[in-house]
Amino acid sequence: MALIELHQVTKTYGQGHKAVQALKPTNFKLMPSEFLAITGPSGSGKTTLLTIIGHLQQASSGSIQVNGQDTSTYSTKQLTKLRFNEFGFILQASNLIPFLTVSDQFKLVDRLTTKGKLSQTPTALLDLLGIGDLKDKFPNQLSGGERQRVAIARALYNDPDIILADEPTASLDTSRALQTVGILAQVAHDLHRGVIMITHDTKLLGDTDGVYDMRDGQLTQIK
Amino acid sequence: MFLATKEIWHNKMRYGLIIVTIFLTAYLIFFLTGLAVGLGRNNRTAIDQWPAQQIVLSNYANQSLVASTITPQQVQAAGLTQKGTPMGQTSVVVKAQGKSAKIDGTLFGIRWNSFIAPKLTAGRLPRQTNEVVVDDGLLAAEISRGDKITLNGSKTLYKIVGVTHDNRFYTVPVIFTNLSTFRQQRYGSDNVNNISAIVLRHKTTLKGDDLVQVSKAALINHIPGYTAQVATFGLMIGAMILIIFLTIGIFMYILTIQKISLYGIMRAQGIGNRTIVGALFSQILLVSLLGVVLAVLALGLTHAVMPAKVPFYSNWWLTLILGALNVLIALLGGAISLPKILKVDPLAAIGGD
Repeated sequence: MALIELHQVTKTYGQGHKAVQALKPTNFKLMPSEFLAITGPSGSGKTTLLTIIGHLQQASSGSIQVNGQDTSTYSTKQLTKLRFNEFGFILQASNLIPFLTVSDQFKLVDRLTTKGKLSQTPTALLDLLGIGDLKDKFPNQLSGGERQRVAIARALYNDPDIILADEPTASLDTSRALQTVGILAQVAHDLHRGVIMITHDTKLLGDTDGVYDMRDGQLTQIK
Repeated sequence: MFLATKEIWHNKMRYGLIIVTIFLTAYLIFFLTGLAVGLGRNNRTAIDQWPAQQIVLSNYANQSLVASTITPQQVQAAGLTQKGTPMGQTSVVVKAQGKSAKIDGTLFGIRWNSFIAPKLTAGRLPRQTNEVVVDDGLLAAEISRGDKITLNGSKTLYKIVGVTHDNRFYTVPVIFTNLSTFRQQRYGSDNVNNISAIVLRHKTTLKGDDLVQVSKAALINHIPGYTAQVATFGLMIGAMILIIFLTIGIFMYILTIQKISLYGIMRAQGIGNRTIVGALFSQILLVSLLGVVLAVLALGLTHAVMPAKVPFYSNWWLTLILGALNVLIALLGGAISLPKILKVDPLAAIGGD
């Protein structure tokens, strides 16, 4: 079963003659252990697609299924819960809470999760990502690469099935960027999660299982 | 509470300054209210202490104790010979024997066995004509229990044998004497049997129209200048409290709005409104409570060091109500920003195209 499946999903901003179709009818599927990338120029609609997949905004038409469940009738509260339980977000800007230490970012998840015992401890995740010694640091004490790796660990911690990464390497140099993409591939292949990464950097597509190109709201599979 | 305490601890300086601001404004409210209430009380505490409902005054005194004179004939004509207890009031200047300080006071001439006799905090009730009981406000100067004093430069010396507390009238301490001494001071002779008022436990029927009975509240409101003073201070303190509370409310609103982008990140991560709003309000509660508790401690310290002659008064109820209002307004300031928090767009945290 697909982790996420989009059927004829569109997104239009505005109404009447001012309407702009940011996303043309799109079909998309993400399977477990799959690492997919979406590329394309700025303003092409990549983030619009990602935010619709992550249920941060609603599609104008079409249907979305998460683990086989149609989410179109979900309330705001159900959508918030869905985001917390099923999705891990890694954003362009650091999505870490600035006043929490690295270990406190995980403690917050512990306080909010309804999943009981999680499959990995924060220590194991941080060690896996090579940042085990940063537990007591605040986000502003970390480098860009370290912050992104903490964000990946934080995104994985609540055992989400789907990881959504929006330009996760935007603030990193090439070697750090390749290393981060390698970690995302590892997450998909070794931890059996589905990963969708948005990037405009074609050098980072080597480890992916599929690549889509987005141009003027039109999604096309190119690999 | 987890997020609230973590944020406060991480931004110690910022939240420390907010706590100091709330502490200073709460203390200002407590302190100025204490002064206004204290001054108001100093006009009336001696009357407040009477276990009485009604006071009979001359009909020509316009309900003012200081202007009232009642003759024995008027008492008899009104049918009050056996009712209530007589009292006389006049202003005096007190000077202790051998000392230079002159202190303003109010003389209450009473019967020592009547129900308006003062409760003593030290000493005893007088047994002889030239013995008096004084409010402890008089002892702040060079005068102490056991001293002999003159009243309005009298040749007679009066010995202070008892001390009472919270017995002030017209802002000055009360000197309790017998009716004979009152008559000496007011009329220059104890052969004049006039009094100022008859204090009644309960309402009664008066014959004729020379006398009138008024409630304790009416008597207090007709103390010269009292109503104007209370109204003026009430308006000043009320306006100050309103402005301070509005400032705190706006302060909390701005503080909350500054964190909207953080709430966007939290919403994007799937952290529910309940957690976000709970963190916000527990943080405001913590910060405002800490500020108010510090202000209460400072108020206690003020009480301890405040000179007795400063008319400062506070009680737990007043402090509790003002403190609770302070915290409530801070929470309300946070609540004003609630619609913005609830509608915060997680997309704002995402950015991108």
